[in-house]
Formats: sequence, C-alpha cells, structure tokens
Amino acid sequence: MEPKLIDHLFRHHSGKMVSVLTRIFGIKHLEIIEDAVQDTFIKASISWRNKQPEYPEAWLTQAAKNRVLDIFRKLKTERKHLPNINLGTDAIAINELFLDSEIEDAQLRMIFTACHPKLDARDRISFALKTVSGFSIKEISSALLTKEDTIKKRLLRARKAIEQSQLKFQIPQGKALPQRLESVMEVLYLIFNEGFHSNNRNILIRKELCGEAMRLTQMLLKNELTRTPEVYALCALMCFHSARLETKTNAGNELLDLKNQDRAEWYIPLIKMGNSMMNKAVVDQTGFSCYHYEAAIAAEHLRAKTFETTDWGKIHYWYQCLNALQPMPIHVLNMAVVCIQNQDLEIAKAYLDDIKPEDFEQRAYLFYGAKAEYFLAVNKCNDAIKYLDLALNTVNNQLEKDYLQKKKLKLLNHK
Amino acid sequence: MKEFMMIFIGADYTELGLSPEDLQSRMGQWFAWHDKMTQAGIVSHGNALTPQIRRVVGKNRTVTDLTSAEVKEIVGGYYIVKAKDFDAVEKIAEDYPDYDLGGTVEIREIMVFDQ
Repeated sequence: MEPKLIDHLFRHHSGKMVSVLTRIFGIKHLEIIEDAVQDTFIKASISWRNKQPEYPEAWLTQAAKNRVLDIFRKLKTERKHLPNINLGTDAIAINELFLDSEIEDAQLRMIFTACHPKLDARDRISFALKTVSGFSIKEISSALLTKEDTIKKRLLRARKAIEQSQLKFQIPQGKALPQRLESVMEVLYLIFNEGFHSNNRNILIRKELCGEAMRLTQMLLKNELTRTPEVYALCALMCFHSARLETKTNAGNELLDLKNQDRAEWYIPLIKMGNSMMNKAVVDQTGFSCYHYEAAIAAEHLRAKTFETTDWGKIHYWYQCLNALQPMPIHVLNMAVVCIQNQDLEIAKAYLDDIKPEDFEQRAYLFYGAKAEYFLAVNKCNDAIKYLDLALNTVNNQLEKDYLQKKKLKLLNHK
Repeated sequence: MKEFMMIFIGADYTELGLSPEDLQSRMGQWFAWHDKMTQAGIVSHGNALTPQIRRVVGKNRTVTDLTSAEVKEIVGGYYIVKAKDFDAVEKIAEDYPDYDLGGTVEIREIMVFDQ
C-alpha cells in the first residue's frame, strides 16, 4: 500500500513553487511560471500512478529546481527580457532559494504583492487564491460563487496592474510595512468570511476557504516582521469562528442561529488555539484593533454554556469599542440585536432609530430582521410580521430565506 | 489465464486545466486502482505515455510532429493484466478513474500463437 499523500500537498506546493520561481524570474513572467508549475503537477500525477517517490516533497522541490532551467531556456528562445542569472555559478544562490525559510519568504512576498493597494480590492482575493494558494480558476469561481469568466478577468486585471505599476516582488520595509500588512489582513479576513458567511451549500468548499485563510495567517505569524498583535487577533478570530463552522447548518442544510446551534459540537481544539492566540494578541495591552474586538465578541459567545447564559452586557461593551474604533451601521445593528437579547429594549430602539435599511444595501434584510426581533420583544406581533415580510422581500440567499420563512410561520402559529 | 491490454484513450490532463488539487485527487484514485490490481496479482506492468507524438505515415515515410492538442483521441497509457476473459477485464476497468473526463478504456487480448 502506498502511503497516502498529505492533504492538499499539490495545492500548497504549487503556491510555494510559483512564489519561489517568481522570486527568481520576476513577477512579469508569472504566466510562464504558472504554466511550468502546472506542467510539473500533471507530470507528477501521471508518473506517480504506479510508484510514488519515497519523499514526495523533496521530489517536488527538485522538480521546481529543474523548472528553473526550463523557464530560463524558454525565456531565452523567446528573447524575453532575462533576469541576471548566470546558470553556472548562480546555481548555488538559486539552490539557497529553495531552503524552507526562503520558500516561506517568497510566499510572503507573493501575499504582499497580491494584496498591493494598486490592485482592485476584489481582484486581490482572486489573485491571492490563484498564486498563493494554488486554486484553479474553476475552484475560485465555485468558492466565490462567481462566474469563471469574471474570475479570469479579475486575474488578468490584477496581472496588468502589477505590470503597469511595475510592482516589486518584495515584503515592504519600514513605514510602508504596517499599512500593507493591514491590506494583507483585510484580504485574509475577506477570504475567511467568504468561507464562513458564504451562501455556498458545499461545506467542503467553505472549509477550504476558511482553512486557507488560517494557513496564510499562520504564515504571517511565522515571520518576525509580520508577527504583530493584530495578526494574532485575526488568527484568534478565525479560530473562534471556525470552531462552530460545522454547527451553522444542520444535516438538512438549514441555517441555525446561535440559539439553536449544538454547542456540544463546537470544536474545542480550535477554541483552545484561539484562546492562546488571543493571549498573545493582548500582551502589550495597547492599541487594540478591530480584529481584537471581533475576536473578543466571538470568544464571549463561545464562553456561554447555553444561549441563555450569554453575557450580553460584555458583548455589548465590545461592540461599543468596535464601533468607536470603526463606526459602521452593521455594528450598530448588532448592538441593537444584543440589547434585545438583554431586554434593554429602550436602548435597542435607539440603535435601530439610528440606522436605515439603505445603510445595508443588498443586506437590508438584516435590518428588517432585527426590527422584527424588536417588535416581537415588545409584543407587537403584527409589526414583527410586517418586518419579516420586508426582510423576505429583500433577501437573496435561499438559506436565509428559509430561515426567515420558518420564523414567520412560527409567529403566525403563536398568534 | 490470458493476457490483456487495457489502453487508455483521451482524458489528456494537459488540455483540461485541472488544478493541483484535482490532480492530486486523481492520482490518489490511480494509486488505489493500481494497489487493488497489484494485491489481486492481476497487473503485470503498465506505463504512461508523454503527449508528444511523432507520426510516420505512408510509403514515403512522411514524418509529422504532433501535440496532444492536434490529436482527437490520444493514447495516454496502458496496463497489461492477467485475467480469465474479456468480462473479467471489463470488471477491472470499472475502476479507471478518468471516465468523467471523457476517457475511454479499450480492452484488447494479447495474441498468443500455440504453434
């Protein structure tokens, strides 16, 4: 029996190889590099059918080294601009670039390039999933529930932006670093949310997105330059959310709210890991980020043994901090919902009066849903139903729609 | 026991835009199939073929170099297996992993002359 390969070995190695080869040849040759890497995996998948090499990872790394020569020849025949490589003596230097620490360095460079502000915000996610994470266009499109053509366009646009701005393939230094790191964290946060809040019915795809975002976040934590309290907090937040990813829907793929999730199924190891990340995130006690507060809120939910024993007061406080740091209608809405749970109905009303459905664009149903909750709490059943109808009229996601429908039915029956 | 050749046609990975993840999972299925055949002692050997083709045709021995993109149904590899009859090989061929990519398995018996 052949030993089973590590899960996602090819995908992860593809990200590594593309990064290292890009470091050698420059980002302007990305297309040729991606083709060469793809070719390596096709060859491996076919020639390993009958016999797997004893050390698959070493085999793949050696293959990547061999690709250096191939790409060099190819660029030469195409008379493309060649980097300053003299294959004789520079072979030693090139070898160095394939050391584990250097591979990680190359991957960080790729993440920072993918998250460069010169790239359109939506293009960054697709580009990062392709180059850093080794997703195919098809995989990105099904993960993001977006057409393949759209993804192709985004990738093309990203490559163009890189070319036009002549972006350097490096980790920014000095003052530029914190700002760019923020953009990197934002992209990782978005990738994670695509998985966690996705409308995607395929739990495997959602898990992969969350897992990938966590893997890249941990990669940031491995490097001294990018190991900051904010990144620890982001990682904690991802751990806390991931711990209950599986309980967000039931076997029939119905959406379950926090009240109805099976708390016994929450994944303890991830909660523990989240806690230890959180401890590292708060070591210097100053300047908490949005990720700190969001993680604190997620942790508070996990801490409650039952929905009823949730410490709503504390959660309310963390939301206040979050909203003070980054004022957003969605935080106000969440505070209203928290206050309803805590029977602070006056305050809840004040929050709701402060925001409008238009603040939430396509997610206006969240606002209507919260209003319905409020009217239910003050025993105005008819108003609650009215707002549930408004929510139902504006919701697109089928899972959310079913959830609201069920709520409405329950109300009608209790009337 | 007779010897048969299973010839794998089509499903050329180079043309299908498979992701590294796809490739790894397909490879896993090929492993599993090969393992199963090895344990049952039915596979004698097999090979995968690279997609480059040099074709020599006609009495003038006209030579053309082709790539997989230019050939509709490219032979990608083969296994030689020992089995009782065609039905038994057909059973074995059920586990071929690439049917969903449009792949075909052609089963041929290896000819033996008994003088």
